[in-house]
Amino acid sequence: MWNVIKKLLIGLVVGGVLVGLTRVFEFPFIFQMMFFAYAMLGSAVFILLDAPALKPMGGIKSVIVLVAFYIVLCTAFIAGASMWPQYDPQDEMGKIDKILKPKRAATEQGKAEELIARAKALDEQVKALTVRLKELGGDQATKEQAAGGSGAPPATTGAATGDFMKMGEEQWQLQECYNCHKLKGEGGKKRGPELDNIGTYLTVDEIKRKILDPKSFMAEGYEKDWEKGKMPDKYKDLMEDNDVVALASWLGTFKNTAVPTPKPIKKK
Amino acid sequence: MKTWQRSLVAACALLALFGGVAYAQAPGASPVDFPYTGNRTAVWIVAQLHILFAAFILGAPMFVVMSEWLGYRKQEPRYDRLAKEVTKVTVILYSMTALTGGLFIFVLLATYPQFTTWFINQFYLVFAVIYPALFISETFLLYMYFYTWDAWKGEKKSRHIALGVLLNLVGLITLFVINGPTSFMNTPVKAEGISPQEFLATATLWDKVANYSWMPLNLHRIVGNVTFGGFVAGMIAAYMYMGAKKDEERAYYDWMGFVGNLIGVGAMLFLPFMGYLLAYELCDYDASICPYMMADQLSMFFEMQGAMIGLMFLASNYYIWLSMKRIEGADKVRMTILAPIVMVLLPLVMTKVMTDYPVPDPMSLAFLLPLILAPFTLARFIPLVRFIPLVGRFIPQTVSARTVIKVGFLMVVVGDAIWLTPHGFVPTGAKMVAELELPSEWNFLALMPAKNSAAFTLVFVTVVNYVIYNRAIRQGTIVWGKIDFVSQFVLIFLAFSSIWTMGLMGAVRSLLRKYYHTYNLLPDFTAESFTPTLSYSAWWVTGITVVFFAVVSFAIIVTLRPSDSKGHAPEASPVPARAK
Repeated sequence: MWNVIKKLLIGLVVGGVLVGLTRVFEFPFIFQMMFFAYAMLGSAVFILLDAPALKPMGGIKSVIVLVAFYIVLCTAFIAGASMWPQYDPQDEMGKIDKILKPKRAATEQGKAEELIARAKALDEQVKALTVRLKELGGDQATKEQAAGGSGAPPATTGAATGDFMKMGEEQWQLQECYNCHKLKGEGGKKRGPELDNIGTYLTVDEIKRKILDPKSFMAEGYEKDWEKGKMPDKYKDLMEDNDVVALASWLGTFKNTAVPTPKPIKKK
Repeated sequence: MKTWQRSLVAACALLALFGGVAYAQAPGASPVDFPYTGNRTAVWIVAQLHILFAAFILGAPMFVVMSEWLGYRKQEPRYDRLAKEVTKVTVILYSMTALTGGLFIFVLLATYPQFTTWFINQFYLVFAVIYPALFISETFLLYMYFYTWDAWKGEKKSRHIALGVLLNLVGLITLFVINGPTSFMNTPVKAEGISPQEFLATATLWDKVANYSWMPLNLHRIVGNVTFGGFVAGMIAAYMYMGAKKDEERAYYDWMGFVGNLIGVGAMLFLPFMGYLLAYELCDYDASICPYMMADQLSMFFEMQGAMIGLMFLASNYYIWLSMKRIEGADKVRMTILAPIVMVLLPLVMTKVMTDYPVPDPMSLAFLLPLILAPFTLARFIPLVRFIPLVGRFIPQTVSARTVIKVGFLMVVVGDAIWLTPHGFVPTGAKMVAELELPSEWNFLALMPAKNSAAFTLVFVTVVNYVIYNRAIRQGTIVWGKIDFVSQFVLIFLAFSSIWTMGLMGAVRSLLRKYYHTYNLLPDFTAESFTPTLSYSAWWVTGITVVFFAVVSFAIIVTLRPSDSKGHAPEASPVPARAK
């Protein structure tokens, strides 16, 4: 028993020292607790090493102990996995829907679904018009329609006239460019060049070219990454043309000369 | 299970395979909605179960043949008995592999008919001809191997061993063949400047099979299967040890547990590096996979993996510790003081060297190789590092084996701590805030050089412990059957943890395809194509592992309990270990 108490005390002292050191080095509280937990794990390991031998068991007793052992293992593994921070799938679902929407539309099933949706919309419009005609009378309705008044059918294929820059920023998020490139002080981890001053070096067309053909330009200092083809050569297949233009246009607005964006060198 | 029953199961599986292929050709089949689990999880459960059984029936024969050969060479009947008992369990699990394989095809076709049709068309020759032919050959060879065991003994033993080697060869080819389509889903063929669809249209079957991650996956699965087979053999031994009523039975199953664990741990030492190779190739294929794995949606899956591997290394070293306790005279074993010094220095030096000379720069070896080899006399036999034992002459001090092992345990805890320390306690990089992030000057703890050094420290300590164990059995006397009873729970823990980790990492490999059935090629338009939470995944991985364990436990009880009555040659008498 004294052995257990002694090792627990050593674990507490080591844990306390680790917490003190991590406080000095300004580790966040959660990391301080993590280091304390490591010390206690070490303590548990050394207690186990000198623990007295377990007496052999057999028959039904060993079966019960075995089943209990499995239950403990299952509980510990599920609880252990559940204690780590959990990714929220909702964050991804909207993104996936937006990325796959044009691809779904391009498939035979997607086309069929779109035709059915259009037919349903037209049917609704016909019904609405019939009701309106009955209310207003045929002549009046025809005149209003010709003048583009309230009796005119709403457009079925609206032109995409939304905020182009917002669309570009959305593509930055959807394609997860932030995983490799730092922008506005966020993301990056030095995998790819920081892009806050890219607009000074490249035109929108050149940025678009770089996205579609990553070998077309090489960032200074990223020679090895360029040679290895680190930037994926897949966006020409994954992104719609107007999405690429929107992303390139949005990136083209970044002209912060205070940030050391590496100079792109034309290679093709 | 009788032969006709096994044949019936195998025939059902083949019928399912061919029926599945035929069904896949039927136009316009619409997917079913699987109740409760949803379609994706239903496929996940069946596929994972199939892979667990397949991993065992491919991994177990490897050490079965090795064991049989050792028994033949040393004229030691224990090895032959071990090989035969594991083969008995393998034969039953082979039927389960076939059954779950057929079920897998049915569930896949019912839930994803369009994708399955497309996929089978891409690998028609593999699915309709090569794989079934290999499967039938393996069935034939396995049953022949099992049923000729008693007939081909004595002078005919070498013929039986040759048959086992052939069985393993066919098994390996089967694994390599089916890994082609599996790895293709992660890294389909591609070429610079051409769209994947265009390239696929002109690609040959070999182009599709020999994709980026094919060979790394082959290597990873071979090593993983041997680890798995070793640990399951350890678990079989633990069950039998617990149920044994005679001392000689306990002695035999204690020995069998040790051998199973030795094989499992021996193969596990290579697993972190095989996993690293696979991850390296995946990242090389598409750099955006890397942050998805390590810094984004799946980062916490890797934290859990680190926790599991850390626990497994602790458990395997604890088993060595318990094994040492039953060796009379083990306390007299000593080792150079360099061993604990290198253990303590290794994580620090390796992190620094691998930061300055990142993988695959061979310059790092110039610093690390002398350090790692310093405690071993092995260096005397390597011409290039002959100068290393000189260091030992200048430092003649030795320490007891007990001290070395205890320092080793301390460093396993340190290695686990380094491996587990995350960049931040957030599920994705996008949610990082200062209160949950490592201070920037300590960020190196979360980078690959530190993780590699942690993995290598765990491996190094385990190797040193086995070297000490080897010295102990040469100098002392080992008494089989007298091991601490808790060791049997350690063996079961190792088997359960390795299978659980395998399930978790299998889920990771599949999730790396993101919202694609085949990465960047064939999107998954269903509502389930998102990354699930780690907690949700853990529930299912645990459920699958429990089902697998229930079946394996049943197989062990059914096949091995009757052997009690037959009796075996006594093996419990304490003998000097060097005599073995």
